[in-house]
Amino acid sequence: MSNPVLYNYDLDENCYKVRLLLSCLGIEAETIAVDVFPGNEHLSPAIRAMSPKGSLPVLKQGDLVLHEAEAILAWLARSQKPDKGFLPNDPDTFAHVMMWLAFSARELDVAVRARVTAMMDAPGDIDALRSGAREALRIMEDHMTRQHFDDVEYVAGARATIADIALFPSFALSRDYNIDHDAFPALRRWARAVRRIDGFITMPGIPDYH
Amino acid sequence: MSLRDWYPLALSRDITPGTSAGTRVEGHEFVVWRDAGGAAHIWEDRCPHRGMKMSFGFVRGDHIACLYHGWQYDSEGQCRHIPAHPDLDVPATIRIARFAVLEAGGIIWGCFNEVDGNLPRAPELPAATTPVRSLFIDCPAQRLTALIADIPFEGSAPNVTTRTGRIVGITLGDNVLIAAVQPVSGSESALHLIATGALESQHLKQISTWSEQLRREVEALTSKDNDGEIAA
Ligand code: FES
Repeated sequence: MSNPVLYNYDLDENCYKVRLLLSCLGIEAETIAVDVFPGNEHLSPAIRAMSPKGSLPVLKQGDLVLHEAEAILAWLARSQKPDKGFLPNDPDTFAHVMMWLAFSARELDVAVRARVTAMMDAPGDIDALRSGAREALRIMEDHMTRQHFDDVEYVAGARATIADIALFPSFALSRDYNIDHDAFPALRRWARAVRRIDGFITMPGIPDYH
Repeated sequence: MSLRDWYPLALSRDITPGTSAGTRVEGHEFVVWRDAGGAAHIWEDRCPHRGMKMSFGFVRGDHIACLYHGWQYDSEGQCRHIPAHPDLDVPATIRIARFAVLEAGGIIWGCFNEVDGNLPRAPELPAATTPVRSLFIDCPAQRLTALIADIPFEGSAPNVTTRTGRIVGITLGDNVLIAAVQPVSGSESALHLIATGALESQHLKQISTWSEQLRREVEALTSKDNDGEIAA
């Protein structure tokens, strides 16, 4: 089977989720750079033929074309290296992973928009976006606090799943939209656990502690 | 800086060896970090180079490094290494202000008045405690301390047993807790919760749920106070 093709923008946190999982799975992908800012290339007919809203990332493998980071993460985890456990089969754990993927796509969307508004001057009410993002991070903080009472280090259990990959960037990049990590001790501990996953890589804005 | 008392800054558990975090007391910014040997440090959160936050940096052994240009400071606050000038004998004047630190009851406390020798009396707390969690709440510390007993726990009212400065003793059902209140700024506080004795995870979760409700209700009341002020 040929390598998957990823339409990627380096500063997009949703593209980073896919790059991160690819790296953790040890899969090579062919990456095609899309000039989102300032080029607006994601709105080109070629990208829109694959992703109607022009959203990135897009992943292609043969005839299969996928958009939406969560779907791409699920497909990669299930089809490429299922034994690595990033999308567990056990129904309860699977459902928890789905729950947090939905959270990442819905509740954390304000965090994605807060960052784009703060960094790239996209339109938006930055105060409202930031307070929405903080609300979402607090829900994650409360959840990880409970996990830690049971000595569980990851979002859906003792092992890292695509839920961790999907939630990580909004927290790791929160300083880009002016939310410090100070008020989130459980998320700091969790972020350290995410950094320990084999194959972990960073993106611009997430420091590499060399 | 006045701040002549001991202020609670974090649960000891949450600052593991080799990690750091930023914090504030009455709006002043500090970095709390723990070296690889286990000693906690509280410094001004400002790198002498260009003033970036040290809390964004990272700990290596008994040094903390600034994220921006990698200047490294030893546990005395003295700059020891400047990557851009690796052979330079760093002048003794490049150092970061340090503050008194102690750990009691599973909490890291800082005192920020640098008058030598005369530290205030250490907070008296039981030796056997279980850390619960720290919560950050948009509410002034005094108001939070006053409201803490108002949120029912599993249907019954909490019982405040002691109030000494920033330390509130509180009974929630069968759980005996201590809440240490950190005045983060004029409008924000941190609540550091510990339990006396050992506690099972099930009880820790109940207390955590209670504390989240406390945060919600206290913030709702505080924003009502603020709206009232604006209207008045
Ligand atoms: S600001 Fe700290 S090293 Fe430059």
